[in-house]
Amino acid sequence: MIRQDLIELAARNMRNARLRNALTTMGIAVGVASMVAMLSLGIGLQGFANHQLMKSGMFQTVFVTSRQDIRNMEENADAKPGESPVLNDDARARIAALPGVEEVAPEIRAMADVEYGDKTNLTLVAGLPWSTRDEDAVEKVKGRFFSSANADEVLLQRDFAKKLEKDPDWVLGKILTLRYAERQSSESDANLSIERTDKQFRIVGILDEEPFGGMRMVSRARVFLPTGTAEAMRMMQPADTQQLVRSTPGERTYTMLTVRMQSAAYAEKVEESVKTMNFSAYSYLDATRSMRRFFAVLDMFLGIFGSLALAVASLAIVNTLVMAVLERRREIGIMKALGASDADVKKLFFAEAATMGLAGGALGVALGWVIGRAINLGTNVYLQRMKMSAENLWTVPLWLVAGAISFSVLVSVLAGIYPAVRAARLDPVQALRYE
Amino acid sequence: MEARGASRYYKMGESVVRAVEDVSFTIAGGEFAALLGPSGSGKSTLLNLLAGLDRLSAGSIVVAGRDLSTMDSEALARYRRLTVGMIFQSFNLVPTMTLADNVELPLRLAESPRSERRGRVLELLTNVGLAHRANHRPAELSGGEQQRGAIARALANRPSVLLADEPTGNLDSRNGHEVMALLRELNEKMGVTVLMVTHDPALAAQYARKSLHMADGRLVPGVEAQR
Repeated sequence: MIRQDLIELAARNMRNARLRNALTTMGIAVGVASMVAMLSLGIGLQGFANHQLMKSGMFQTVFVTSRQDIRNMEENADAKPGESPVLNDDARARIAALPGVEEVAPEIRAMADVEYGDKTNLTLVAGLPWSTRDEDAVEKVKGRFFSSANADEVLLQRDFAKKLEKDPDWVLGKILTLRYAERQSSESDANLSIERTDKQFRIVGILDEEPFGGMRMVSRARVFLPTGTAEAMRMMQPADTQQLVRSTPGERTYTMLTVRMQSAAYAEKVEESVKTMNFSAYSYLDATRSMRRFFAVLDMFLGIFGSLALAVASLAIVNTLVMAVLERRREIGIMKALGASDADVKKLFFAEAATMGLAGGALGVALGWVIGRAINLGTNVYLQRMKMSAENLWTVPLWLVAGAISFSVLVSVLAGIYPAVRAARLDPVQALRYE
Repeated sequence: MEARGASRYYKMGESVVRAVEDVSFTIAGGEFAALLGPSGSGKSTLLNLLAGLDRLSAGSIVVAGRDLSTMDSEALARYRRLTVGMIFQSFNLVPTMTLADNVELPLRLAESPRSERRGRVLELLTNVGLAHRANHRPAELSGGEQQRGAIARALANRPSVLLADEPTGNLDSRNGHEVMALLRELNEKMGVTVLMVTHDPALAAQYARKSLHMADGRLVPGVEAQR
């Protein structure tokens, strides 16, 4: 029989036992819905976790250190610490020239005294690389980001702004003075001198959340200035004392350079290239691998629990179709007498099973989506009551929709095997004998 | 159509029932033959063997030059589809299908082109005088109409042999004669070979040109009459 005839006959048989087939199809729909609901929760949670990590900019970032300074993060590094070169301006330029690299910036953190009006506060000041402007590392800025990489502008953490004014928003556009320790050293001079320096900044924005999702050292700072500005200020940092004892004391060196790529796709190559330069490199791609494994296992378990309902539904298919075989004994006998082969009869039952699977799958995906929306809504109402911002814990990607419907059809056809074989084996002489 | 030592045995627990035993006969193409005998004589079993619905335990049956005993189930299905048409005492129309859908069923099974089917169904129904009943369900038709519809269905794929199992058994005599007249017309005008099972010698005598008699699973010799 050609496919179109099979579909027509199957559809006709479906219509003839409308209630029973509708109930079975609903059973499948509930099974698919629970599977879709579970899996999209898993996928949604994974997306949520990924989003948090993305905010940290870590996927796009490789951290470079000299092995002279820090004991290597990897156990099996080839180069011995002594062979690793110093992270100086030359190295910085070479790394910046690597393909895919957007910005190479040092991590600058220093304690400074903040003068605002008649108040002074000692706090941690940190540089934010210029590349931070177009990522969500600094989500939710009240006001604006720095106007340039070397602007004399600062962003304040909201908590800190509260210390300065009754309404933190009042600080926007005002001036503050940073009193910090400026390093004074020349190329030839082996000694390091430090001088107290004052510098004025305009407050351009307030950060509601810690930058980089609160996941980096600089996130803890309360006042942020452009890294370019911070570099030019030569703020004294703890690592500067190491520089003093080096053979070339005047040369500018870095403890750590943060290499920011255009996209996470470059991370692996850049990491590789940096390692061939004999520096230590570390990216969070390594760290997230175990997280991904965790989510794969979680998804699998959620999927298995979700499919239990589908397994139950598949028994309903077996039941419905076995009933249909018994009920349609005579009809099957007639079809065989008219020349239907065993394969034709089998195909007809498979077509009926597949029809139920398709309809149940489509209905189930819709149902699962509705359930998901409902749970998401409920969660967000709860989160808002807890004074937390709403999150999307629920994702139904297109592949899940297609996958769930195909899986439903597959399970239904598998459930149809026994009834189909039974129908095909029916002896037409027996089937036609009784009135 | 030729049978040589055709036998069909059933196992019933310990004992073996010889429903058809060592039956041999020949029916020429274009013949109208009757298979007579009391109930339980094995004539329906023999008809099922000829129809390819049941399988021989021994012997051979050759129809249109092909031996049914050597065919696999797929080949037998094709044989039932294209070479023979079957008519039953209880009509065996699918009750949930309209008459037209019933007649279309063998065309679907034979994968005949969809565009030609509607016309073919109408033609078949017109031939048996039921074109106006095409969209009725079997329950809405009289017994005679149902049987004529079943004949139209049996002829859908232009078989060379028509096998009828007590075709008038459920009909009153007027409808019965109408159906028999239709079978004779098909036999004479289209050259379809007809083999009809019946327990009514009068009916056989009236319509068949040849009759075979069965008793206890065997052909009764000598009464094989040729008129």
